[in-house]
Amino acid sequence: MSTLTIKNLHVNVEGKQILKGVNLSISKGEVVALLGPNGHGKSTLLNVIMGHPKYEVTEGEILFDGKDVLSLGTDERAKLGLFLAFQNPIEVPGVSNSDFLRAAVNAGKEKPISTYNFYKLLDGAVKEAKVPFDYATRNLNEGFSGGEKKRNEMLQMLLLQPKLAMLDEIDSGLDVDAIQVVSDIINKEKNNDRAFLVISHYARLFDLINPTRAVVIINGRVVLDGGREIIKRIDTEGYEFIKTEYGIEIEKEDTRPASNSIGVCAVKEAVK
Amino acid sequence: METKILDFSKENTNVFHADSRENKSYILIDPHGDISFDIKDNAHLKLAIVNKSDNNGTIKGSVGENSELEVYYADFADANNEIKTEINLDGENSSINWHLASLSKFNGKKTYEVSVSHNNLGTRSQIDNYGVCKNEAKLNFSGIVHIKKGSHRSAAHQNAKIIIFDDHTDAIAKPILKIDDNDIEASHASTVGKISDDELFYLTSRGINLEQARELITFGYLKPIVNGFDNEEIASKLVEEVEGGF
Repeated sequence: MSTLTIKNLHVNVEGKQILKGVNLSISKGEVVALLGPNGHGKSTLLNVIMGHPKYEVTEGEILFDGKDVLSLGTDERAKLGLFLAFQNPIEVPGVSNSDFLRAAVNAGKEKPISTYNFYKLLDGAVKEAKVPFDYATRNLNEGFSGGEKKRNEMLQMLLLQPKLAMLDEIDSGLDVDAIQVVSDIINKEKNNDRAFLVISHYARLFDLINPTRAVVIINGRVVLDGGREIIKRIDTEGYEFIKTEYGIEIEKEDTRPASNSIGVCAVKEAVK
Repeated sequence: METKILDFSKENTNVFHADSRENKSYILIDPHGDISFDIKDNAHLKLAIVNKSDNNGTIKGSVGENSELEVYYADFADANNEIKTEINLDGENSSINWHLASLSKFNGKKTYEVSVSHNNLGTRSQIDNYGVCKNEAKLNFSGIVHIKKGSHRSAAHQNAKIIIFDDHTDAIAKPILKIDDNDIEASHASTVGKISDDELFYLTSRGINLEQARELITFGYLKPIVNGFDNEEIASKLVEEVEGGF
């Protein structure tokens, strides 16, 4: 049975069309590698599935276990079992990681988890993600290094136990040992019938997690959907063969709309 | 070290001294008027202040060699304030750690001017002002941190962040650095704005609903101030005040 089904998905960002008819299905237990040049819609697809308000779906549908995902709020999508490990996890000053994690764990529960059981659960996840326990006492991603933020994403995934985990460049900013930890977690969890949709620019992570399929997005459409040999080919040849063999002209990255994110900088002023 | 609690509805102590090698800690409940301090060498003074009503006043004083002033200022009252602070880091390696959390709501008008003068070698200032502004209230964080010429190896860091909830609020965060020495380290940052869509998206993507996400972020601006209050009862009351303010 298919867990996630995306049909003819069209998406605009700030008036510019980014996804132009994406079709994709992912079943339980699958690990799907999502590849494509920068700026062609990979991260957009993951953010749309999770429900970022910046993205406007103009056509198409997303179903998860038969439910209409697009009619749901982001929190309801998470409760269905969708999870996004962010490419750039957000820093939230003043909010302690443990308060946040406990709120997240309780979100899907009718009766809140007891303090004892929460810390027991947290202790197990902390050990598996191989992060120091003081992660819990620090503020959410505030002052974390790039690698620490990514490990915190994996910690959240372990605590929330999603049905489909979407990992957006989870390996960027990680050292070799940390990539091994992340791949060990994915390999263990995929045997628990969980599905993964994984974006990475590096074959190293894919070598470690052995995806069941590889999907390539170019110009806002899925242009290749096949076996893991596609990953090897892209790693050695780049995307040029798609142009020569499939006759698809690859649009340049700079046609994307400029991001209006204020990001992390010395001075922020964002009065809406 | 014992923390002495001074309730200004019962007494009025406006002058604080820390003599050489002394380590003193006070909680001031609803102080009014001008507060002054004088910290001698190798000493430490901590002032944790709870504001409860209208207050116009100053906090002024000098910090001596190898000494530190710590201030935690919690202001969640439905009130109007104008507080001006002038801290002189006179001694070598003296420092100030200032933390303010302020909630301004209804028609409240609150102004905090926190100014620091680095007057010697190796002086350090950390100024953190966090605020939440609601309804038609006004909230203004300003102040000049001045590193004087010759204050080599000094460091100054300023943070001013305000979340605004409504279109009719008036919030300004303006940390200013004035630097007259080359061998120093300094930074300042300010944010004024509604809670960002990205922050809300991140929290809701973990199953937390929008209302709870907004609360977590807002409380995150105000609640950490309680860590500066070494009294469980007062700290608990402050948490209740924050949670009751929304």
